[in-house]
Parts: sequence; C-alpha cells; structure tokens
Amino acid sequence: MADSYSLDCEPTTRTLLRRVLDTADPLTPRRPRSARTSAQRALLETPSSKKLRSQTKMTARRRSHKARSIDRLAHIQADGHLEEQTPRTLLKNILLTAPESSIVLPESVVKPVPAPQVVQTSRRESSRGSLELQLPEVEPSTTLAPGLLAPGRRKQRLRLSVFQQGMDQGLPLSQEPYGNADASSITSSLNLTFATPLQPQSVKRPGLARRPPTRRAVDVGTFLQDIQDTSLALAPPGDSLRTPVTTLPTDTVLEDTQPFSQPLLGRSPSVQHSLPCPSHSGAKDVERAVGHRTWSSGPRLQNSGPGKPAQLMAGKVEEVGALALGFPNTSSNISGEDGVEPLQNGVGEEAEGRMKEGLSMRGVEEATGAQGSARAEEPEEHTEVTEAEGSQGAIEAKEPEGSSGDEDTPGRTASPELASSTPEFLRARRLQFPEPAPPPSTAVLTSEPPETLSARLPPRTRIPGPRPRQDPYKTGLNHYAKLFSFYAKMPMEKKSLEMVEKCLDKYFQHLCDDLEVFAAHAGRKTVRPEDLELLMRRQGLVTDQVSLHVLVERHLPLEYRQLLIPCAFSGNSVFPAQ
Amino acid sequence: MALSTTVSQRKLIKRKAPRGFLKRVFKQRKPHLRLETSSDLLVHLNCLLFVHRLAEESRTNACENKCGIIKKDHVLAAAKVILKKSRG
Repeated sequence: MADSYSLDCEPTTRTLLRRVLDTADPLTPRRPRSARTSAQRALLETPSSKKLRSQTKMTARRRSHKARSIDRLAHIQADGHLEEQTPRTLLKNILLTAPESSIVLPESVVKPVPAPQVVQTSRRESSRGSLELQLPEVEPSTTLAPGLLAPGRRKQRLRLSVFQQGMDQGLPLSQEPYGNADASSITSSLNLTFATPLQPQSVKRPGLARRPPTRRAVDVGTFLQDIQDTSLALAPPGDSLRTPVTTLPTDTVLEDTQPFSQPLLGRSPSVQHSLPCPSHSGAKDVERAVGHRTWSSGPRLQNSGPGKPAQLMAGKVEEVGALALGFPNTSSNISGEDGVEPLQNGVGEEAEGRMKEGLSMRGVEEATGAQGSARAEEPEEHTEVTEAEGSQGAIEAKEPEGSSGDEDTPGRTASPELASSTPEFLRARRLQFPEPAPPPSTAVLTSEPPETLSARLPPRTRIPGPRPRQDPYKTGLNHYAKLFSFYAKMPMEKKSLEMVEKCLDKYFQHLCDDLEVFAAHAGRKTVRPEDLELLMRRQGLVTDQVSLHVLVERHLPLEYRQLLIPCAFSGNSVFPAQ
Repeated sequence: MALSTTVSQRKLIKRKAPRGFLKRVFKQRKPHLRLETSSDLLVHLNCLLFVHRLAEESRTNACENKCGIIKKDHVLAAAKVILKKSRG
C-alpha cells in the first residue's frame, strides 16, 4: 500500500480500489461474518464515498484507509474464497456498478490505465488553469490511449476544451478523445485534478511534451502593465473629455469583462501583430499604436485570437484608443467638409503628443498595415485599408493616414460593434471631403425665423461651436415639442417633432402679433394679462362656461396658480394685488 | 387637485414654464413692447393649450389613418386646422 501512495499523491477512489483488488491476495476472510461485516462496512462506506466522490481528498484517504483495512482483514482472515460477500467481490461489484465513472475493463488493463489517465487529464486541466498540482514532466499515458479503444462508451465524455487543446497540439484525434475521455471521467468523478508522478511508460505522444510556454504569465504581466498604463492614461484626460467621449471608455470597460466578445476577437490578432513590432518601445506606445492600429485594422483581421489576455489587452487598448480618438472625434464631428485640416487642428490642439506618438508608430504600423491589408478578409474594409495605405506616399502621407486613421477611429467610435457600418460611414465621410457645404447647418439656418437673425451671429462662419446660435431657441421649442409628445400619448416620428417645432414657431409669430395689436388697442405698450385673456377668448379657449381661472387651475402648477389667481389671505390682503 | 397634477407621467415632463425663453422670444420679435410678469405665465398657458390641441388633432388624424405612429403629415394637417383656430 505504501508503494501505491508513492505513486499517486492523491489517488482516486477507484484507483485505490483497483489497486487493492489487484495487489491484495485473493484470500477470503476466515470468518464469513467478519468478512461480511467488513464487506458491509465497505458497502456502507462506498455509497457514502460515492456520494462524496466529488468532495475532497479526505474521501480518498478514507477510502484508501478502508481499502487497506479491508485488505488487512482479508490477509488476516484467510479463509476459503466465498463467492458472495468477500471484499474483493464487493469492491468489484462496486466498481462495475458505479455510475458512469467506472470503466468496465479487465483488471489487467484497468490498473495501468487510471493513473496515467489521471495524469494526462490532470496535466491537461491544470494547463487549462483548473488546478495547481502540476508536474510537467508527466507524459505517460500515451501508450495506453490505443489500449483504451476498448471502452467505447467513453466517447461522449470528450470535453471540448480538451479536444481543442488536442487540436492545437496537432495530435491525432483518434487518440485524444478516448484517452482524455477516460481520464476526464475519472477525474470528474472526484472533481479534482491530481498530478501523478511519472509513470514508467513510453511517451507515445511527443506533442504533449511541447506544452505551450507560459505564455499566459507573460501576457498577464503585460496585461497588468497595460491596465496600469490605461488607468494612468484615463486619469489625466478624464476631466478634459466631453461627456459623449467619457461614455465611450466606460462602454469599452464594460466590454472588457467579456473577454470572448466579438469585437475583442477581431482586435486581438492585430494586437498580436502590432505587439512584436513596437515591442521595444514602451507599453504606452504599444497601447496607443495598437489602439490606433486596432481601430483601423481590428475588424479586418479576424484570425483566431491568441487567448484571453490578448483580448483583454485589446480591450484595454480600446479604452486608450477611444480616449485618444475622443478628441479627433469631437473635432471631426463638428466640421466635416475639410476633413484633414480640422482634424489636424483638433488633434493638434488637444492631443498633440498622442498624434506624434501615433505618427511615429505609423511607420511601424505601415508594415503591419500592409500585412493587415494583405490579410484583410472583408472586401469593403480591404478597400478602405488600401485607400488608407494608398495615400501613404511620403512622410506627409502620414498625415492623411493620421487623419484617415482618426477618421477610422471616429467611425469606429461611432459604432465599434458594427464592422460593416463603419466602412460605409467612413467612405461617405471621405466622399464628403471636397464638399464644403455643411448641409445640417444650412438646414438649421433656413428653419430659423428671419427676425432672429439680427440678434444672432452670422451663420456662415465655421465655428467649432454653433451652439450659441440656435440652441436656446431650439431648446425652448423642444420643451414644447416634448409636451406635444406627452399630450399625444402615441409614438411619434422624429420628423413629426420637427414639424411640431415649425408649427410652434409660426404660432409664436401669430401670438406676438396679436398681443401687439391688443396692447396697441388698449393704448399700452406693455402686454398685460387682460390682453392674454382676450386672446384666449378669441381663440375659443375661454368661454362663458370655462373661465381663465379654470384653465389656469387645470394646466398650470400650483406655484403659477398662486401667482395668477388672486387669493384672499388673512389680514384682509389679496395676493396678487389687483 | 387640479387635473395637471393628477395626470400620470411616465416621462419626466418639466412643468416649469420657460419664462426666460418666452420673454426672450417676445423681446426679439417685438422689441418695442414689454411683457408683464404674470402675462408671461399666461403666454405659457396659451402655448400649453395650443400644443394640447395640436396633439389631440394629430392623434385623431393618425387614428383615422389607422396608423400607430404620429407622422409628419398628420401633424401638418392638424397644424393647419389648429393654427386657423388660434388666429384670434
């Protein structure tokens, strides 16, 4: 029994039982009764141990102890072999009848099988990062894989992850499922992975020796570094960002929690490719470069990503990229006609350092970009890439690329998820370059009432902020438009709301004219509430049945009601005074 | 309580009158006239009633067309009627 322990640190229940069966002398206890009691004890133990099979090693230890005690009993009470109720037969029955984790094999095959299977699966699972006990030199088990072709019922136990790993390893598939299925089933019975020591068996699958290097550790380290850099990058420009941009990093942060989400998958290969190129530079530059690069070439490269850390890093890079792009995004949103200059201006005034870095990275990225274009899978984005890279003629070509990259980025920030929509958006944007006319601003101008022009700035100038021009008026109208939608209690189109605003505009015109007429009729230059009441009476809102006070009470909040309707208070006072 | 306060609001509707906005608009259109304090609120009331009528009319138009959404042409047709009514 000691040797069995030396072989396995934490053997499974089944393995122990088998060993007991194999190694113990086939002696029946001298007294059937004691054997029966011991067997019953074994019986009692096994169901409990079966139930607790998924629990800790204590069960295994208990089992082993029990097995050993049973074995000792068998030794001590060396009676004639009774077919019924010997520990051996009981254990055999248990092994045979145990649910789904039992391997129906002849004992000779069973013995060498489980341990290396456990080893193999343990190694697999630990490489998958499931548990800690890992002895990498364990490679045995390969010879047994063909031997395990007999238990055909293990086919379904194949785990996809194991299968994929087998695929990655390039191992023959036929061997993989069987070997891993059995091992996985064994280990699944205990829900633990054991690192068994080296078995004296030839390594049939040399591919297993080539475990992927601890790539994860390295990636995690860089990943953490990137996180720190990202947090550093997020901190300073956070206050200077405008609100629409500030929402972007949070969105990307939220995306990071899903490492296998689609957009990250697209960007991870670009991360991979761009990483080796500027590896010498700081991680921050890598981030920015990767950020720019990922934004521009992310969805194009849809090769299989390396793994989770790279994707997460790409996600982190997205944040920085989103930040860096926030500035050109806002600037480009404002003026669309002369794309290069305002973008450059906007970039120059807000993120010069970043642009420089990005431009410095462009030379490095051009190679990757060429690769990316070569590897582009989506034709529309491929054309976009070729456009982007066709413009790279010389050093100054970097600037259009920078602008195009920045345009890529605003397009991407607009819709990072939809890869197909962005190229159309960007192409449309590019086409609009030579068009100087900003259609939205002209449309806004026409909608303005003529008399307001005198009080407003000349609309033709391309101010980065057209807000003071029409916003107060529009917001006021918007207020009433919202009230319209509230009163309508029905879904409305956006165009209908614009129509409502136009109607309100006309209404205000009529209103002012009427009030002027009424005030002039009364010989006043101040519009007073009597004029308003007259107006409402003429409009048919106030009738003999419905007075103004009724309407005021109906539609205005309390505070205004108090101001409008004279009310008598204590002390012989009336408010408002008449 | 008044009807306005008992209406259930799913959206957050500002009940406040945009007094500054109304005063500014009036000043811009009729700079030689002055608007009194209380009449400001009455102008707001007038606007509310106008919008209310407009909404009702638009909703009627949309329902007549058996449309679940208020469309631009519904609003346009309603506006013609209501503006004519509100001419004073």
